[in-house]
Amino acid sequence: MKKEMICIVCPVGCHVSIDTKTHEVQNNKCKRGERYAKKELLNPTRMLTTTVNIDSIHQRRLPVKTTDAIPKEKLFDLMDLLESVEIKIPVNLGDVILSNVFDTGVDVVATMSLKD
Amino acid sequence: MTYDFLIIGSGISGALIARELSKYDVKTILLEKENDAANHATSANSAIIHSGYDPDPGSLKAKLNVEGNKLYDQLEKELDIPLFKNGAFMVAHDKDEEGLLERYLERAKTNGVPGVALLDQAEAKKLEPNLADSVTKVLNLPTTKVTYPWEVAIASIENAVDNGVLFEKNQTVEKIDKQDEYYVIKTAEGTTYQSRYVINAAGAYAEQIAKMVEKNVQYHITPRKGEYIVLDRRVQGFIKRTLYPTPDEKGKGVLMVPQFHGNILIGPNSELQSSLDDASTSKGGINVVKEGANRLAKNIPFHQTIRTFSGVRASSTHHDFYIKPSLEQPGFIHVAGIDSPGLTAAPAIAKYVVETLIIPQETLPINKHFNPRRQAIKLYDDMSLSERQEAFKADQRYGNLVCKCERITEGDIVRHIHRAVKGDSVKAIKKRARAGAGICQGGYCEHQIIKILAKELGKTPLEINYFAKGSNILKRETKVKS
Amino acid sequence: MKPYDIVIIGGGAAGLAALKGAYDKSLNICLIERDKTLGGILKQCIHNGFGLHHYNEELTGPEYAERGIEEVLGLNVDIFTDTTVVDVVKENGTFELMLMNTKKGEHRIKAISTIISSGCYERTRGAIQLPGDRPAGIMPAGSAQRHLNIDGYMVGKKVFILGSGDIGLIMARRMTLEGAEVLGVAELMPHSNGLTRNIVQCLHDFDIPLYLSHTISDIKGKSVLESITISEVDENFDYIEGTEKTFEVDTLLLSVGLIPDINMFDSLKFEVSKKTGGAIVDQTYQTSVEGLFACGNALHVHDLVDFVTEESTKAGQQAKAYILNNKKRSKNTLYVTPSSNISYILPQTLDMDDDFNEVVLSLRTTTNALTGKFHVYQGETLLFSEKAKFVVPAEMEKIKIKKEHLKHSGPISILFEVVSQ
Ligand SMILES: Cc1cc2nc3c(=O)[nH]c(=O)nc-3n(C[C@H](O)[C@H](O)[C@H](O)COP(=O)(O)OP(=O)(O)OC[C@H]3O[C@@H](n4cnc5c(N)ncnc54)[C@H](O)[C@@H]3O)c2cc1C
Ligand SMILES: Cc1cc2nc3c(=O)[nH]c(=O)nc-3n(C[C@H](O)[C@H](O)[C@H](O)COP(=O)(O)OP(=O)(O)OC[C@H]3O[C@@H](n4cnc5c(N)ncnc54)[C@H](O)[C@@H]3O)c2cc1C
Ligand code: SF4
Repeated sequence: MKKEMICIVCPVGCHVSIDTKTHEVQNNKCKRGERYAKKELLNPTRMLTTTVNIDSIHQRRLPVKTTDAIPKEKLFDLMDLLESVEIKIPVNLGDVILSNVFDTGVDVVATMSLKD
Repeated sequence: MTYDFLIIGSGISGALIARELSKYDVKTILLEKENDAANHATSANSAIIHSGYDPDPGSLKAKLNVEGNKLYDQLEKELDIPLFKNGAFMVAHDKDEEGLLERYLERAKTNGVPGVALLDQAEAKKLEPNLADSVTKVLNLPTTKVTYPWEVAIASIENAVDNGVLFEKNQTVEKIDKQDEYYVIKTAEGTTYQSRYVINAAGAYAEQIAKMVEKNVQYHITPRKGEYIVLDRRVQGFIKRTLYPTPDEKGKGVLMVPQFHGNILIGPNSELQSSLDDASTSKGGINVVKEGANRLAKNIPFHQTIRTFSGVRASSTHHDFYIKPSLEQPGFIHVAGIDSPGLTAAPAIAKYVVETLIIPQETLPINKHFNPRRQAIKLYDDMSLSERQEAFKADQRYGNLVCKCERITEGDIVRHIHRAVKGDSVKAIKKRARAGAGICQGGYCEHQIIKILAKELGKTPLEINYFAKGSNILKRETKVKS
Repeated sequence: MKPYDIVIIGGGAAGLAALKGAYDKSLNICLIERDKTLGGILKQCIHNGFGLHHYNEELTGPEYAERGIEEVLGLNVDIFTDTTVVDVVKENGTFELMLMNTKKGEHRIKAISTIISSGCYERTRGAIQLPGDRPAGIMPAGSAQRHLNIDGYMVGKKVFILGSGDIGLIMARRMTLEGAEVLGVAELMPHSNGLTRNIVQCLHDFDIPLYLSHTISDIKGKSVLESITISEVDENFDYIEGTEKTFEVDTLLLSVGLIPDINMFDSLKFEVSKKTGGAIVDQTYQTSVEGLFACGNALHVHDLVDFVTEESTKAGQQAKAYILNNKKRSKNTLYVTPSSNISYILPQTLDMDDDFNEVVLSLRTTTNALTGKFHVYQGETLLFSEKAKFVVPAEMEKIKIKKEHLKHSGPISILFEVVSQ
């Protein structure tokens, strides 16, 4: 059986299809599309981008992201974990906010520097 | 404490009656159910100070309309209100309508309207080049003016408050009991007032209020909705005068009204409805408005539409204004059925209520300290260069441009928050300072306005209302679980 | 005071790239930004998906912005933040900009050339004339995004979204993650207006239904929003009776289009395209006013910031060339006009005296197509045809034209032929 999906790795958005048995991927313009389709079939994961509390004068929330995708079903758990995080300035882009979340090896890092 | 006069409703009628009473040494209170003054008919109408061509000669409407129009010139000086003296054309498309123009010319003369005259197509087009090509003749009505109706009401209340009147908002009159000497007025919010006189200026709700006091109310309110389109101020100059069609049985028809700051108001339609407060707009209604407008002018820049809205006319089965003392209860005065031209007539209505209905019953001592003047707060954008420099020197917040579309600064907003009738919601600021009234409709500046309101009022942004109590825009803070 | 050679209005992705493109040691350049910090709209776009073309990496909005900022920070230029350009006029060949801030109030600077990179604003309820009541709880999706991502406030618990533009889709996911319930997204057109990746990741992931060919037919609520009703529409966008669905929500977010934010510069009276809402420009991004350039979302609304950077860098370079080469505008103008199935093409004109080998035309189609062909004409002559795949109106297409091809007479026109849908 073939599963149709839209590759979302880049804005080209290839309409790829994957064979659910052989895992053969078609219609992808590049390798990343093949990887994406397999992953989406076997172990869907997502990046999470959200915010945490910060005491900056410029903005009341600091944007953060996971350094890699985490299992899709963990998204809300991670949101919950970040509810009570409070960061103090100064923060640099890339600073680790939470490390190795749910033992995935993935960190949550700041995506903006806030110095004051 | 017992008041002498309690006025229900802070629309243009109640506001100007309050001010009129403040000329006398009496205790007056003005109650309003909404979170700001002048939020019903007075904030959703065509904003025209009519010349008086329209009402039936001999009616109270005709008399108060022409008087009211004249009184606006005085109000302009005393209350420093915006009055745009742009005149109006009533347009005709064929022989029948030209005949109507002649009838209205006669009627206008009978009603004592100055300066009216007929112009042929060529003369009219010279003055208004964007007039629809189908227009054959126009009736020139030079005394027609345009104002910001809610600003007139709020200015009047501010002046009244300055002269000793009390204004309380968020007080919905729910029950009125007649005792021997006075009325006991109870509100849904739980406050009780006592007053010797009650003046019912509740607009579309006047009949509801009347029923709290009378068994047989002499009129029935038959609400009529009118919908509008607002064009961005950048269309300024498209037309100079207000344009009217010839009226039909439903009323004055769809008009085009240039506003003080350049916007053009287009509307209204006229639909009977049962609800007193259904001010929704509809696709059908807006289409009627567009079609109507296309008979007035050509190539209308509808793509510059920034907003639609509607208002409810408090028309009544009495047809004329119903401004009379109660036939059943002494001391209760109806100011009801105030549909168009109620805005125009309001200053004359206020005088009529006080001088014709009250003074013959009651000697009112003069308020020796009455100050007729109120100073408007000039917006930064309306100031001259030297005024702007001075304003900035005194307050650096004039250097922070908050609303880009209407060019409103933080300095402007702060001042309008702290007016005597406070601008304490996002919409109240839009009404007073125009911030958020432009093409982006606040999309760009609302977050800043919320912050400024919070700071000035000593509240958190979560507590800042869009308009009514409990209409806060920000619902909850994220990331607060500790 | 000596005029600046170039003043750039706006310090978002476009302004930053324009600054980088325009930079030259011999030039006196100034950038003005009304916000306290640089970066523009990117600062509130905390999601990722930025930079794949330009940096070959998937970045979030703030990260993309920070790179752009770092690239210009060392440069010897004047950057004024917390300052708004409120008016620009051109007198005797020089631009005069009126600025406003809380330090100096109103003040003026002069410039020989000006680049408009002031971004865009969101179309509102009033502009699309949504019917019904007018309670609190209805706002553009980007405003809600700002409240949420920068200030940390949720604007509602039960949300409906009108318009499948990217901001709306992104907000559907963002508000869901923050605990709101998003009941659906309605789109007037029969196809989505957002990037496919956003449809997949923001709606499908959370089982949020997308109602195509639907719009809002009623809004109810006295002081706060209580419910909205959607209806299916026919080819003329009229409601189809009997298709109404009502949702009890406290929030309606609008993602119904962005418009170049250039009203502050009306005094310059440059020609504006009815289609893009931005200036009409030639391939050097010069507007009809000589020395005035435009780029980024202030020129036309982009779905990809990478293209903003690319375009704005060029605009900056062209402004630099304009000053350094003391270039004068030629009269040799070729018009570029959209034909069937094309909504707009940019640039709208070509300056044929300009020294170029090829130009890249950016265009949007009006329809979806799995496969299709672009046909490029000059006058009656077909210059060439080009195949295209997965064409959607939401995503910009690019076509290159070589100058040597342009030897026929008449304007360039492009039409799009749908081969399969
Ligand atoms: C579509 C339309 C177009 C119009 N165009 C024009 C025009 O161009 N020129 C013109 O002269 N006139 C015009 N009018 C008429 C004019 O707007 C009205 O006559 C005028 O605004 C009525 O003012 P008001 O104070 O009587 O009523 P409103 O402004 O309706 O005020 C009544 C007030 O009473 C309050 N209230 C009601 N019940 C209670 C209660 N129980 N307790 C406390 N407060 C209560 C309400 O909240 C409201 O604020 C138009 C009207 C409409 C609707
Ligand atoms: C919600 C949203 C999601 C997006 N998602 C993606 C995505 O996933 N991937 C992607 O590649 N692209 C995405 N984009 C597109 C891309 O981010 C934008 O097109 C790009 O950032 C626009 O840059 P800009 O500089 O033209 O505009 P802006 O970033 O808006 O910058 C304009 C700047 O000018 C300033 N300014 C305006 N007027 C004045 C004035 N009068 N005086 C002084 N300063 C002024 C403003 O304050 C602002 O900082 C998204 C855009 C939005 C809005
Ligand atoms: S397959 Fe490659 S080119 Fe196609 S969408 Fe995926 S990443 Fe982009």
